[in-house]
Amino acid sequence: MFRNHLARETDSPYQGGVFSLNINFPTDYPFKPPKVSFTTKIYHPNINTNGSICLDILRAQWSPALTISKVLLSICSLLTDPNPDDPLVPEIARIYKTDRARYNKLALEWTRKYAAGDGGN
Amino acid sequence: MRGAALTTASFVLTAAVVGHAYYQKKQFYPSVVYITKSNPSMAVLYIQAFVFVILMGKLVKKVFFGQLRASEMEHLIERSWYAVTETCLAFTVFRDDFSPKFVAMFTLLLFLKCFHWLAEDRVDYMERSPVISVLFHLRVLTLLLFLGTLDSLWVNFAYHSTLTKGATVQLVFGFEYAILFTIICSVLLKYVLHTIDLQSENPWENKAVYMLYTDLIMGFIKVFLYTAFVAIMIKIHTFPLFAIRPMYLTMRSFKKAVNDIIMSRRAIRNMNTLYPDATPEELASMDNVCIICREDMNTACKKLPCNHIFHTSCLRSWFQRQQTCPTCRMDVLRASVRQIQQPPAQQPQQPQQPQANNMPQPGQAMPPFPGYPFGSHPFSREQDSPMLPLEVLLLHQGSRNLPLLEVTSNSPRHRLLKSHRQRHLLLSTSKSFNFSSRDYDRAIYNYHRCTAGCTRYSTKCNAWDAWNASHATIYDASSFSNDATIWFTQVTHLA
Repeated sequence: MFRNHLARETDSPYQGGVFSLNINFPTDYPFKPPKVSFTTKIYHPNINTNGSICLDILRAQWSPALTISKVLLSICSLLTDPNPDDPLVPEIARIYKTDRARYNKLALEWTRKYAAGDGGN
Repeated sequence: MRGAALTTASFVLTAAVVGHAYYQKKQFYPSVVYITKSNPSMAVLYIQAFVFVILMGKLVKKVFFGQLRASEMEHLIERSWYAVTETCLAFTVFRDDFSPKFVAMFTLLLFLKCFHWLAEDRVDYMERSPVISVLFHLRVLTLLLFLGTLDSLWVNFAYHSTLTKGATVQLVFGFEYAILFTIICSVLLKYVLHTIDLQSENPWENKAVYMLYTDLIMGFIKVFLYTAFVAIMIKIHTFPLFAIRPMYLTMRSFKKAVNDIIMSRRAIRNMNTLYPDATPEELASMDNVCIICREDMNTACKKLPCNHIFHTSCLRSWFQRQQTCPTCRMDVLRASVRQIQQPPAQQPQQPQQPQANNMPQPGQAMPPFPGYPFGSHPFSREQDSPMLPLEVLLLHQGSRNLPLLEVTSNSPRHRLLKSHRQRHLLLSTSKSFNFSSRDYDRAIYNYHRCTAGCTRYSTKCNAWDAWNASHATIYDASSFSNDATIWFTQVTHLA
């Protein structure tokens, strides 16, 4: 089991937040994807309250050629660019689609509240 | 906290009801009669019974599972809702037999079902938990023994009841417990497989095969049971509406199990017979690290039709699960068919040298395509959609085989999508890359990253959507800003 921190430095509501993730490797890794979940609360249409991430490469699109760094890269990109068409939390996806300003505000609030610099795990 | 308050309330209510009855009648038997005759008292007692069931559930959970994990809880709640709905549907079918005893039996069934699901999840968890304690083994084994015994007792009881009293609602219970018993069997088999895997020092290569066959056999038994159940129910009673959803799911997973086995066997057979062994020259020409296990490749390596090379044993393990090239996701089963139709010499090889020479070196600026903008551009025949400047840089990751390209736009609206229409393939192999119109239609782009502000392309272009089917995630390239970055994580051939 790994613990990992993602520090975001881009132009997104998650900017500056430190998010910790749990990475569980199955016994037949790399033939099966690692189980990755957020332990920091995050406001995102593809990540639910349990920290489960809805990402194709962590499920059916897994390939043994992928590495943890590539998975983390994909998760970073999922943060900057959520996929509201395949949501895990439909309510957040709806807000993301209809009221982007409110989404940004809420996501920023959560980031400040739960993922502020030193804390987060 | 709220649960505790509710429990206390129900206990207080029950005590009040019983106390009141005893105070009125002074004797045991009359007070029992009094309570059973009074509807409000019975309601209180039913609630109390329900609270008892929940408390009992909590106790059993504590004993056999300890703390539930978040995903287990989520699973349990999701499945419980379906089960409750189906139970209500079953009530409508058996409304003539409706009685407290009947409700109690259904509750017990639901109660036991929950523990079967939890056992399933727990055993699946073995696969990815770092340490498995003795307590874990003890809990799983006793739980399986306990549930298995209960299931078989119920099946036995239902069987005898049906023989002596004819077909009653016991038939439903008999089938339900028989299904649960198959779940216990498959969980037990998986538990044994996981335990063997955990005991062995090296990864157990054939485990996936045994898992596939376990799923197949258990799937078959379940499908058989469901079909028999529905047939008998239609014959003697009515159409069992409540069995439709589980029956459909069972059939679907059985079909998938059959499919998985056929595909994996075919892929492994193809690998052994069709694909050539990698020659030492080929191994030397690339960095000879197997991208699956990250170890050096010296012997026993196979070359797939897409020219990617892996250890034979690694490929076998992968093909037991999926039948695609780990690097480029090419479907090997479809590719094999193509290879037979076409002599291998005509296969598009590595990027052609002249073209590759015209390509910009990483870090170099324009132009991205030879002869840009239109002149000798290889794909300029579609003049209606001219290519706009693109600077393509190849990113070198630790594994050089993964086609990971970084595309930086020089124009705010470089219309990457137009390039699709112009039939370009961004095909990356090793350090160079190649644009070839011929392979375009076989390509799936999976654009995994772009900067903020991009919207998903799929919402804007149906044609691309249709072409793209369900595979790729596409962003609207028209909204990229100057310094936008896209990461192409996968470029895949379709056969």
